[in-house]
Amino acid sequence: MRRQSGEVFGVISEFRKHPGQAALMALISLFLFIFLVVPVVQVVFVAFLDAGTGEFTLLNFKDFFNTALFRESFWNSIYVGVMSVVLASAFAMPLAYFTSRFEFRGAVIIQGLGIIPLIMPPFVGAVAMMMLFGRNGSVNLLLEEYFGINIPFMEGLNGVIFVESLHYFPFILINLSAALHNIDRAMEESAQNLGCSGLRLYRRIVLPLAMPGYMAGASLVFLKVFDDLGTPLLLNVNSMLAPQAYLRIASIGIKDPMGYVISVILVVIALASMWLATLALRGKDYATVQKGGGGLAKRRMRPIEMAFAWVIVVFIMALVLAPHFGLTLLSFGTIWSYSVVPDAFTLNHFRAIFAETPEYMTNTVLYSGLAALIDVVLGTAIAYIVLRTKLAGRQWLDYLAMSAVAIPGLVIGIGYLRAFYDIEVPGLGGQAFGTWWVAIVIALAIRRLPYALRACSAALQQVSVSLEESAESLGANKMKTVYRIVVPLMAGGILAGFVTSFATAAVELGMTLMLVSKHSDGPLAYGIYVYMQSAAGRGPGAALGIFAVLVVGLCTFLSHLFVDRRQRKLGMTQAK
Amino acid sequence: MTTSQQQAGRATAVGVTIENVNLSFGKTHVLKGIDLKIEPGEFFAFLGPSGCGKTTLLRLIAGFETAQSGRVVIGGSDVAHLPPWRRNVGMVFQSYALWPHMTVRKNVAFGLEERRVPRAEINRRVDAALETVGLKEYADRRPSQLSGGQQQRVALARTIVIEPQVLLLDEPLSNLDAKLRVQMRRELRQLQRKLSLTTIFVTHDQEEANTTSDRIAVIDNGIVQQVGSPTELYDNPANLFVANFLGVANVVPGAVASEAGRLVFKSDDGAVRVPIGETGRAASHIVFRPQNLLIRPADAPVPERMTRLAGTVDHAEFLGGVVRYRVAVGGHFVLVDAAHQRGEGAMGEGAPVNLFLNDDLIIGLTQ
Amino acid sequence: MKRFTWKSGVALLAAGFAAGVLATPGPAFALEDKVVIVTSFPKDLTGPYKKAFEAKFPGTTVEILQKNTAAAVTYLQETAKGNTVDLMWASAPDAFEVLKKAGMLTKYAPKAQGIPEKVGSYPIHDPDGYYMGFAASGYGIMWNTRYLTGKNLPVAKEWDDLKKAIYFGHVGMSSPSRSGTTHLTVETVLQGEGWDKGWATWKEISGNFKMVTERSFGVPEGVNSGDFGIGLVIDFFGFSSKATGFPVEFVYPTVTTLVPANIGIVKNPPHGQAAEAFVEYLLSVEGQQLLLDPAIQRLPVNPATYAKAPEGFPNPFNDKSIGAAVKFDVDKSGARYNIVNSLFDVLFTYRLADLTAATKAIHAADAALAGKSNEKAAGLIKEARALLDKMPISEAEAIDDKYPGVFTSDVFKDRKKADTKVPPRQAEIEEKWDAFALANYKAAKDKAEQALALLK
Repeated sequence: MRRQSGEVFGVISEFRKHPGQAALMALISLFLFIFLVVPVVQVVFVAFLDAGTGEFTLLNFKDFFNTALFRESFWNSIYVGVMSVVLASAFAMPLAYFTSRFEFRGAVIIQGLGIIPLIMPPFVGAVAMMMLFGRNGSVNLLLEEYFGINIPFMEGLNGVIFVESLHYFPFILINLSAALHNIDRAMEESAQNLGCSGLRLYRRIVLPLAMPGYMAGASLVFLKVFDDLGTPLLLNVNSMLAPQAYLRIASIGIKDPMGYVISVILVVIALASMWLATLALRGKDYATVQKGGGGLAKRRMRPIEMAFAWVIVVFIMALVLAPHFGLTLLSFGTIWSYSVVPDAFTLNHFRAIFAETPEYMTNTVLYSGLAALIDVVLGTAIAYIVLRTKLAGRQWLDYLAMSAVAIPGLVIGIGYLRAFYDIEVPGLGGQAFGTWWVAIVIALAIRRLPYALRACSAALQQVSVSLEESAESLGANKMKTVYRIVVPLMAGGILAGFVTSFATAAVELGMTLMLVSKHSDGPLAYGIYVYMQSAAGRGPGAALGIFAVLVVGLCTFLSHLFVDRRQRKLGMTQAK
Repeated sequence: MTTSQQQAGRATAVGVTIENVNLSFGKTHVLKGIDLKIEPGEFFAFLGPSGCGKTTLLRLIAGFETAQSGRVVIGGSDVAHLPPWRRNVGMVFQSYALWPHMTVRKNVAFGLEERRVPRAEINRRVDAALETVGLKEYADRRPSQLSGGQQQRVALARTIVIEPQVLLLDEPLSNLDAKLRVQMRRELRQLQRKLSLTTIFVTHDQEEANTTSDRIAVIDNGIVQQVGSPTELYDNPANLFVANFLGVANVVPGAVASEAGRLVFKSDDGAVRVPIGETGRAASHIVFRPQNLLIRPADAPVPERMTRLAGTVDHAEFLGGVVRYRVAVGGHFVLVDAAHQRGEGAMGEGAPVNLFLNDDLIIGLTQ
Repeated sequence: MKRFTWKSGVALLAAGFAAGVLATPGPAFALEDKVVIVTSFPKDLTGPYKKAFEAKFPGTTVEILQKNTAAAVTYLQETAKGNTVDLMWASAPDAFEVLKKAGMLTKYAPKAQGIPEKVGSYPIHDPDGYYMGFAASGYGIMWNTRYLTGKNLPVAKEWDDLKKAIYFGHVGMSSPSRSGTTHLTVETVLQGEGWDKGWATWKEISGNFKMVTERSFGVPEGVNSGDFGIGLVIDFFGFSSKATGFPVEFVYPTVTTLVPANIGIVKNPPHGQAAEAFVEYLLSVEGQQLLLDPAIQRLPVNPATYAKAPEGFPNPFNDKSIGAAVKFDVDKSGARYNIVNSLFDVLFTYRLADLTAATKAIHAADAALAGKSNEKAAGLIKEARALLDKMPISEAEAIDDKYPGVFTSDVFKDRKKADTKVPPRQAEIEEKWDAFALANYKAAKDKAEQALALLK
């Protein structure tokens, strides 16, 4: 019946009929064009220029595929991406299974695990992981002492896969859990009724139904790992595409077009993987069709199962919290060198950061807050245009906004410098836009827009169209309806989008490093990086990192509480 | 729209006229040349199977759809170019569409707030509306804390509180259980009388339409099949669809022939032969209702002036008040209802029977 | 900090009397409200200067922008049109040479007195007057004492020590294309030992590398945390790590160069007066004194400053053994700057796994040969080593200008004026070098394995 009540507007002359909507769409498109398309094109076109003559050429791409090193980097990047998905799935699947299938008291912990890794700046995590899992880190020192073995967790590509999968597995966990949660219980019961149960039931009914969620998460993990620069750079792995691009672009002298060619290839592969995931799932997005069936039937675990589940959860939790644990040791430790734990403990590092660098904290809250605000405003508007209007090309607006997820931060950073360094901001006395802190905010907003957009779209999809129509028929115009009905009902999703954008923007480094034009404009991630570049700064840097994790974690936790309470009050079930 | 105009709208109910409306979604032609005139103060039903276009027509009146051609006139003015929020048309949704983030009181006050009604008056009118639907003590609850019937009433109160020119009800009873449905449809009817509000009711349930409406438009496949009062539609269906959709009907295909100066309708196999009036000259089918037949054992006396059809009982169903027989007459099955008398057993399968049909109650249909 | 304010006050007075002129512009001068500095130096170095300068010139804020040297140069080039930066402050003279050639620096003659012309064999200030040296640094070997004890390794004090098989997998260094000072070190050895022998030394040392770090600080970071035991670092990384309390030591090998770390005024500085004031402050006795801060530990260029230095602090103006072995030729270094970087990355950084695998095989064969006499095996090992050490181009070929438009960036020249003759692309050349290195490393490994097989 709902089929009749929604999404039906006339098709022709939509633009003339809804000038307000059309203007909004034009405005957003213009924003994305200036701050996403232009900078990216600025970088991409260099890849098509002959370095000698400045003429258009495809030779650079031929060079790319002729060079053994690049081919090797290409396959290494693909390998690391795929293996990270595999390892991340190994972390995420049992956790999602426990929460969806059983009455498990660890569910709260698992939900926590779904966000904790994301709020740790990955490069800080890598430093801490080296201290714990490095060749001479705590674990290996202990293993060597007691068993005489040394396991190369962190060597080469293995290290990258290890760190990346620990950092990004929440993407799979969150999406898979949501998909499992959205499966109508009747689906499972009718299968049981027809004689299907146990693992067979899982294979034939549950997994196919949860597949779209899993694929969405897995493709995101692949994409992020494929593009990630910070982790391989900190682990000194350079035979991958992202570091190759960075090293070639950021070094003096080696300003050949190959860095840009690699950037183009990164973007193309990322877009292709997104497209493939969409293609594979075309017409299979059952989970959203079924209306809130309350998830699968849950049962109590037997004691032995419970023990087994706890062992796995604790093991994964230990791995997930390892960077945080390492960072905590670093921040309180005096000297930590070739030993299992630091020599002694002190509060001096925390004293140092509170005395010296409050601006990092205020900048972070300001930048990430503004960026997340821009994201949810844009995300809500785009979701509304896509789901509630019939404007021509609205789907492309969605694709454009989502494509930002496939653009490496490095490309955005360089693109911004290129595109905006000589554009003066009026009224700021010759301040160039590219070096103004607002450029960092906008770049962060563009980078994190896909997260907020997906959250807003999901929230809007759950608001029945008839709730809007009833407001309209009672006299509220479109704007009023959005303001009084749509936005309040989407509040949970919007907040979730805000938090995701905020938390991930707060730990962004690569692009920030390119765009920060003066110390006093630097956010926390930049501050940590700067601290970590000197011997005496390792402790304070780690303390700043702990601070960042606490601030972002606290914001996230509070907003989760808020969303939860609100949903319960409204009697609405909303899949996160 | 000012408050005084709205109040004026209440005092004198307005009519709704739909002229030659065509509407397509892409390639699907949903409404095909609809013409309807709904009188002021009338309780009017759109009746039809799901997918017939009735809800689309209702949404068109509310302003949620745009027709490719035709006019919708409410109270004398063409509303085609007015957005939903300027039409002053109240709609109750099938799902009630109560806003979960607002209390009952806030839900009901919403439309008045949008009309910038002073706060004191809002309170007074919201209280009155909740009183009308009997939910005054639930004003501070949230929709999720109410039962289905209560939610339905809140949706109704929310709509009538703005004193709309026209009240639109989209399958408002479909989410209620059977008993509540009967109770609510009476309440709806009473409320509509009290407010003398032009009301359009969409339903696929003929019983609901019959019990509430002054007139019904039967819609199928995007076309208005017939408009009339419930009894008119039942007694004089304009076509086979209406005949079949309203109540149970026996339909026999065949042709009219002239025999001995009288017109006779003969089924294709000749088993059914009934005289038919001049109006039925072109009939290709005849229709008669199960309760318009008498059933007698083959050996019982023949009543006068009635057409006899001979057959055998194929199946009998006890429905409580009546026994419904399926009788094989040649190659046709004819349904016959016989009032059940206490202690009387039904005729057994295979029993030879005569059916007697009052010629005046035979309806000849050309399509 | 208090200690320094008091000391610097005395020092300022002393300098003022001694020179008879006021070396630094006094607070009475009206400076702009800020001075913007892009620097590769860590907060430990920039922080004290920012504090001291702002205290001395109230009303002028020091804005610091931290980037690594290469990124800083890129940043200045990309933002040249809308320049907001007054000063470039970094170690590597090469980076300043690049900026100078691109016409992105302003000429300035410092007024500060008492600074000699040279430190070691390297001129302190740019002879053309575009940038000024303010501290001397030399490259050396840093090691983690716990690590060496734990792994039972001896201390390495000369470059040649690092070639030894016992250090296999225990050494780390940054890449010259990422770290200006690393470039100087590579170049120092090349000039000290000659092109072929120099590269052979680097091949043999690099064969023992655990990693080539992407950031110059990656090396002290690795040594400090014990990820690897020995690092090739610039002196102040060693000094400051030790001063922070890490169990590390630092030593200058015989073949090293002392080079100045520099500051230069950017072309069209938005705050010119403040920029000059900052340069003068840096070179003043007061400013020089700050270099002795335990977290900074760089060698001042004003010899007078050493009077206040802590015990054991090296003084290159007294101890002539530091950095005197090589006469560093800036012109030669500049002429092949890009090629050396590129060669190193192609042959070492990106092919480290192949290089170390070959080295490991040679070490194994060497060990098996020890105490035996097997001429054939010895010959194979020698061949293997020769293959490993082989370079794709000779010293005569290694001049940037021989590859016009290949290694120089598009920013430095106008493309339109490029020769009509189309030069080979950098990627093409590097691919050749890469293939060359890969084949030779593989062949060297095979030969060493053959030798080992013979010895079994």
